Amino acid sequence: MNDIYILAARQISAQSPLCEAWMDTPVSYDEAYVRSIDPDYKPYFAPNAARRLGKILKRALLTSRQVMEACRIPHPDAIITATGLGCIENTGFFLDALTREGEELLKPTHFMQSTHNTISSLIAIDAHCHGYNSTYSHKGISFECALLDAFMQLKNGSIQTALVGAHDEMTPDYFKLLKRIGYLGHATNGFSGETALALMLGSVPNGQALCRLQGIEMQYGTDRAALQQTFGRFLQQLAVGPDDIDAVMIGVNGQASNDRCYAELCPVLFPGRKLIRYKHLFGESYTAPGSGLYAAAVCLNRQRIPAHLRMHPSHTEQCGLRHILLYNQFENKNHSFILLSSCGE
Amino acid sequence: MQERIFVTGAGLLSALGTNKEEALTALRAQRSGIAPLVYLHTSHKGLPVGEVKRTNREMMRMLGLPETEITTRTSLMGMLAVREALEQAGLSETNGLRIALISGTTVGGMDMSEQYYLDFLENDTRNAYIATHDCGACTEMIADHSGLFSLVDTISTACSSAANAILLGALLLRSGRADIVVAGGSECITKFHLNGFRTLMILDGEPCKPFDADRAGLNLGEGAAYVVLESEDSARRRNVAPLCGLSGWGNACDAFHQTASSPEGEGAFLSMTKALDSAGLSPEAISYINAHGTGTENNDLSEGLAIQRVFGENIPPVSSTKSFTGHTTSAAGGVEAVISVLALQHNFIPVNLHFSSPMKELSFVPATVDRPVRPLQHILSNSFGFGGNDTSLIFSKTESV
Repeated sequence: MNDIYILAARQISAQSPLCEAWMDTPVSYDEAYVRSIDPDYKPYFAPNAARRLGKILKRALLTSRQVMEACRIPHPDAIITATGLGCIENTGFFLDALTREGEELLKPTHFMQSTHNTISSLIAIDAHCHGYNSTYSHKGISFECALLDAFMQLKNGSIQTALVGAHDEMTPDYFKLLKRIGYLGHATNGFSGETALALMLGSVPNGQALCRLQGIEMQYGTDRAALQQTFGRFLQQLAVGPDDIDAVMIGVNGQASNDRCYAELCPVLFPGRKLIRYKHLFGESYTAPGSGLYAAAVCLNRQRIPAHLRMHPSHTEQCGLRHILLYNQFENKNHSFILLSSCGE
Repeated sequence: MQERIFVTGAGLLSALGTNKEEALTALRAQRSGIAPLVYLHTSHKGLPVGEVKRTNREMMRMLGLPETEITTRTSLMGMLAVREALEQAGLSETNGLRIALISGTTVGGMDMSEQYYLDFLENDTRNAYIATHDCGACTEMIADHSGLFSLVDTISTACSSAANAILLGALLLRSGRADIVVAGGSECITKFHLNGFRTLMILDGEPCKPFDADRAGLNLGEGAAYVVLESEDSARRRNVAPLCGLSGWGNACDAFHQTASSPEGEGAFLSMTKALDSAGLSPEAISYINAHGTGTENNDLSEGLAIQRVFGENIPPVSSTKSFTGHTTSAAGGVEAVISVLALQHNFIPVNLHFSSPMKELSFVPATVDRPVRPLQHILSNSFGFGGNDTSLIFSKTESV
């Protein structure tokens, strides 16, 4: 079976865009609703394209182009996108017009770019990629669904490279909706963020790979015994012992109901392991777990975990990293495990 | 040689009826399910569409759900089709098996969101439907109704969603990550996409005429359809008879335009070619093509030319069953997979309705005779979506997988 490498990654988020400044100079927020820090798009898009494309599409195109350039892979074998909500700005425009003005005055513009697969197909159109193309949209595990698809195809050798993206925008209206149902906006030390992350995965190392993607496993349901079993089998298959894991990256976000699941499960699943976090940097979104993987990959690459990622600030910075495990749960119902390892391992 | 993948169950809910027996009867009788719109609350009453002829309340009763249950039309249809598929495959409990549900949808809970959107924005009266809006919520409602699934996954590639769900199911089985996969899709008609398609001016005001020179657009449809996939070993262990095999799959991107296909059908050509390659079949082996065939000027020309590129002089019978069901968008790949399974089982070609004038650009005309010249062995089913998300699947007689 092929090894799989994360060859490059680019993000636009609540942190400084298109760089890893968050490692040493993280931006922190007090408000509950945070939009991403957009780079200046002028150098990258013609004025008419910049006007036509919504934020989510500009971010997706730019992050994707940059990882393709960084790896010199202009035509990845697969383009696989995760988006929990899709192009909600365009969807919102069309829905608003439909509900306020009725069915006779609608225009196609916003509808045409409202489907979830707009992102993945636009990246393909932009890069002239005729290969495998798919889009996953499953709540807080959308990213893992996309990653799993790429992982299986890289492992079986049907593809050698895959551009995997995690893209979600958050409009003021949709934030209001998700606040009503308690998913966002009630955090004490977390915020709603937007995700734009592009990763290049490949089965051939390129000398600048961030880390290796060793395995991914998902589990649906509330049965904790089954979850423990799944995790045990996951490590066993990868021939990694619990003590080999240097840190576990988890999705705590300041919401009581979310964080309680981690508080209950982490001591059972990963006793004694150091816990690290990422949502204080990138915020909560359906595809936020993509940012968790990105942050862990950068830590493995630079061989250090900055103190501000640590759940227990008393712990000092850590060096000599080999394995970081990512554990994500969504509504205590969807669970995922991803193991990243340093390239040397 | 990789292990064969069998289809051991199928469920289909569409304009042709609430189960696959009803669909089979209608297909064989050449009776379309397309009729003037009545169920959706829209100002476009009377427009020809392929509605599932049941209200939400009727479907809830069929499922034994209490009237207070929070559901959406897409999830209700999905629950019914998944139930039919599971029953046929003899799956009523997990028995320690890892069973996955892979569902395709794009509208998700939009049917409720478009009714209550202003409430969503202004008050707390409809909050329950905020939580059912997204695609994943729809899959989980379907999964939770049966309670058998320990892996769930939602694909949203517009009109190829269900076909990609079936493709992913094959990958999951081959990688050993699931013992059994239930894959397909569900999608109800919403005002949102009915009007969206209308603004694109691709809806025919009459029953659609796929592959006809005078075709004038598509009729929207709705439905849900799922197949149960498992390895030959698993089917044998469970002592269930396979309906047919899933022998090939191909996914490619047209990479041409957000809502139009390239003139030469590059994506369609590639997805069909990849499916044939993965099945290890030459084009001559295909006995029938269940085309995407929406009835729009653009799709049928582009797909037709791509079929000619792949099959050359020897084009097998081609038809679009969207003339029966309407275009069920994200569910279409599932609906047409189940129709392909039925065609293989009963050895008939679902005909192309409403055909009268050949397209001058094409060397073939769609099939209008349901009796095949030779017994059907392999069926190629095409599903193409917005953005050029093109997927082709090949279903084969059990002994020919």
